[in-house]
Amino acid sequence: MRLTVNGRPVEIEADPEMPLLWALRDIAGILGPKFGCGIAACGACTVHVDGTPVRSCALPLGQVNGAVTTIEGIASEDRLHPVQQAWLEEQVAQCGYCQAGQIMTAVALLDEIPEPTDQDIDNAMGGNLCRCGTYPKIRAAIHKAAALKLAGL
Amino acid sequence: MSSATTLLTAAAISIFALGYASAQEPALQPGEALAEWAGIYAVLSHPRCANCHVEDDRPRWSGPHYGATRVHGFNVQRGTDGSGLGNPGLRCTTCHFESNSKDLHGPPGAENWHLAPAEMVWWQKSSAQICAQIKDPTRNGGRSLEEIARHVRDDKLVGWGWEPGAGREPAPGSAEETYLALERWADAGAPCPVE
Amino acid sequence: MSRLGKITRRVFLLGSAAVAGGVAVGYWYVNRPYDNPLDAQLSEGETTFNPYVKVGVDNTITIIAPRAEMGQGISTTLAALVAEELDMTLDMVRVEHGPASHAYYNSAMLEEGGPFNFFDEGFVADTVRSALGTVGKVLGLQATGGSASTRDGFDRMRQAGAAARMMLVDAAAARLNVPASELIVENGAVVHEASNRSLTYGELALDAAKGSPPASVELKPRDQWKLLGKSQKRVDMLDKVTGAPIFGVDVSLPEMLFGTVLMSPVFGAKPVSQDLSRAEKMPGVVKIVPLSTTYGHGFGVIAENTWAAFRAAEAIEVEWGQPENPSDTEGLVEVIADAAARGEGSALRDDGDVDIAFADAPQERVLEAEYRVPYLSHTPMEPMNATARLKDGVLDIWAPNQMPTLIRWFCADLAGVPQENTHVHTTSMGGAFGRRGELDYALYATLMAKEADGRPVKVTWTREEDTRHDAYRPAAVGRFKARLGEDGLPVAVDMRIASQSIMESILRRWFPSMSALGPDKTITDGSHNQPYTIPNYRVSAIAAPLTIPVGFLRSVGCSYNGFFHEAFMDEIAASGKVDPIEMRRQLMADYPAALAVVNKVAEMSRWAEPSPPGRAKGFAFTLSFGSWVGQVIEIAETPSGIRLEKMWIAADVGTALDPGIIEAQLTSGAIYGLSAAMGQAVTFSGGAVEQSNFHDFDAMRMFQCPTFEVAILENYHRMGGVGEIGTPPAAPALANAIFALTGKRIRFLPLDREVEFA
Repeated sequence: MRLTVNGRPVEIEADPEMPLLWALRDIAGILGPKFGCGIAACGACTVHVDGTPVRSCALPLGQVNGAVTTIEGIASEDRLHPVQQAWLEEQVAQCGYCQAGQIMTAVALLDEIPEPTDQDIDNAMGGNLCRCGTYPKIRAAIHKAAALKLAGL
Repeated sequence: MSSATTLLTAAAISIFALGYASAQEPALQPGEALAEWAGIYAVLSHPRCANCHVEDDRPRWSGPHYGATRVHGFNVQRGTDGSGLGNPGLRCTTCHFESNSKDLHGPPGAENWHLAPAEMVWWQKSSAQICAQIKDPTRNGGRSLEEIARHVRDDKLVGWGWEPGAGREPAPGSAEETYLALERWADAGAPCPVE
Repeated sequence: MSRLGKITRRVFLLGSAAVAGGVAVGYWYVNRPYDNPLDAQLSEGETTFNPYVKVGVDNTITIIAPRAEMGQGISTTLAALVAEELDMTLDMVRVEHGPASHAYYNSAMLEEGGPFNFFDEGFVADTVRSALGTVGKVLGLQATGGSASTRDGFDRMRQAGAAARMMLVDAAAARLNVPASELIVENGAVVHEASNRSLTYGELALDAAKGSPPASVELKPRDQWKLLGKSQKRVDMLDKVTGAPIFGVDVSLPEMLFGTVLMSPVFGAKPVSQDLSRAEKMPGVVKIVPLSTTYGHGFGVIAENTWAAFRAAEAIEVEWGQPENPSDTEGLVEVIADAAARGEGSALRDDGDVDIAFADAPQERVLEAEYRVPYLSHTPMEPMNATARLKDGVLDIWAPNQMPTLIRWFCADLAGVPQENTHVHTTSMGGAFGRRGELDYALYATLMAKEADGRPVKVTWTREEDTRHDAYRPAAVGRFKARLGEDGLPVAVDMRIASQSIMESILRRWFPSMSALGPDKTITDGSHNQPYTIPNYRVSAIAAPLTIPVGFLRSVGCSYNGFFHEAFMDEIAASGKVDPIEMRRQLMADYPAALAVVNKVAEMSRWAEPSPPGRAKGFAFTLSFGSWVGQVIEIAETPSGIRLEKMWIAADVGTALDPGIIEAQLTSGAIYGLSAAMGQAVTFSGGAVEQSNFHDFDAMRMFQCPTFEVAILENYHRMGGVGEIGTPPAAPALANAIFALTGKRIRFLPLDREVEFA
């Protein structure tokens, strides 16, 4: 079957029951989305389908009805996405394993709510687990990313 | 416990058997109509249905691996807009897709997964309370009892309650049986139990 | 390969500890340096001065940070130590983990393993510390753990940088025909200011490598540090915000196969009967192989993709043998509780005479309590995994791991190849918390690679396998007794703490023919070595006779002793009607570093001011891994349960090399401890762990996270660790706050069995 991933067509020959995550990682070689739980309980595998965040570890290939965007596809040619830039400036990551998922959720949040409150952030990020406990910095980085985005950076 | 289960099951079967045989028959006697409601209540109050018909903003989890019934993890909520679709960044459909996950403890799925409106609360409500709500157009989505029966029979998300996937106990009976029970109960004047 | 490596001189660096420790184990052996492992790995135009620095003629400077990056920021801080002496900034260098090598032994990790408390500084204590550090060198144990990497690297990495700098300066002096004393280093170049000439390190590399290493090195004095002591941008951050494939699960090799494992959920049990036929016929399955190691027995599935391997593992039909331990939680806890009540203890602290102090104690002056904590799983975000390839007599292992030299040793043995033909490639780790100090994931991948006809196999565990096959933080039971004086302060405490011995459990997995010697001080670590002065003070460790696999989890024994000791101290204060912080001020008066921490955190949190209604604060203190940490947490009653509002942390780490990273570690450690305290427990049924994934073994999420305020102090004269120290006081601070809020004294973790959290 044919997927569109990060704006490019990707041909994947696999069982339609295979979760999108494994098609991306093992077949297409797109390794940004991470395997953490396999049951949509940790958010490490988060990607967007037509702009909506989904847990790719639980989404069967056969149900992918839209363009897929992964962490590899949010920066422009010469510039990080404002959320990535904010993550860099706030020095958010520790082990970094969950951060691709955290960033993808934050991108989706800011697309819907350009200036989120702490409450909005809590409501959006509960599905993304971080065992290193980077939450205080994630919160700060989302606020910074909102400012960067509004400033057109 | 097993004998109680047997009794309940027998009661359910007899209700539904009666239902099939008498679909075209005249309305039920009042006592029979209340028994019909009891079968419907068993469905609506079952965790597969009630866990997402909550008054507050949080769906519930229950089942053999969850211990006692508890709030859905991950800060999942109705949505600040009251939509029942979740919040920006964490929609129901971020994890719940069109079919059940094949993995034990994976997210169940059905078309248009969402939380029922808060006024349609079933979780921890008595038979009489749910009965009153079902009949109240201001709290049942403005539906007639006939429309409710068809909604139960035809809606994919409602139908999920009887096919919830591995490791989850389904609601009793089936969508069709519950539809017929609702029809018979409505025909008999839709009596509600008294608390 | 370049011949340069062969003509390169090596710098032999000796720390003072190694020389002093030589007395114990033989001076010659201790001074025998390990070969520079970089010699064998140089590419064209590259040269190396010592195991930590490579310089390319194109001016690419590579620093080897030989401790595993699991998120703690160690690659940044170790690189900064070298870069400081080379007068470079971190954006001018590349940082690599380097190969598995005994040259990268960790001596500091073992130094605190002796029978002395951190604050003991007598001659005997220091000599034993040095000797144990030397053992680290002799064994060549390259390990990341014990919050020891910075302490271990502080001198060594700076000496490596300084030695390389001196050799580059000498080469420049010869080239420019000026005395070395007229040269300075600046931004990666050697500069002769008088003649306005300069040469980059790259231009000097070949000449410098032919020179002689300096007999002694001079380190920059602290007041000239440009990087150290200041927060650096982490060298791994860009990769981590762009999704770069840096983790073990991301290893991609030509011809690679994929796999997973299905191991017996009953520890030590073998398959009694099995039917692989259905699994073997599943699409994409290449081969199913039996696995049998000291870690456990089961099956490895090799397939064309990971998902196919997962599906096939589920389809394996197998009946496992019987458990050798009581099969459920109740039975296990009974054994531990019985050990605490009746077992023979080893007193690791025994001040005064506790028995006499209690003999005539009036009943109303005696406080008794029993505390319990459950087994815990590490659950790093990246499930266990390793990739192995056995081809043409060479074994390659790619794995996120904390123990590369041990993995090399054990896996070489399993594969039947010599160690010199075994290469361990350490990837970034998606968390570890001690879990990746175990070897199982690498052993299984090696056994599977033997069956893969020379193709590499990437073996990824499911979360369920990971949760159910850990080396768990042991469950523990503590029985505590205190006698209070007239002033409400304790005059005697007796603490009996029982848990499985981690050391014994590790020996069972690593060296099954050896038996443990002496008491395992991890059982009471965090209780027997706290800076309190109480006239009669006894802390006894009792090893519970069970064989559930247990191991090192972030802060190890301190992870529960912090709770035991500090929650009981809070009980003593409440019972004696003394303010908990005031009581610490009295009991810690002999330890100025502790006192300063307590006073700082009290001031930050406005401890003296009463909390508004519906709110309360709790305090705890733990000295662990050489650092002194006090925490205050404020909690609030809300309609949906107790909410964690804010935590204040004051920590004395001796010398703070990177305040940004230290603050991140302190909050990280606290959140790790709070997660466990609030809701985590590993329980057993039928001999197997009941939990399987994040729905029943979750951790704190963003919406539950308090805000933090951190103060880093540098009063104590020895450097402490930072990776684990935030964890021990977190649970007792929270439990003590709950007591202050509700009057409920919760002595069993997790706390959510007794109170609801928002």
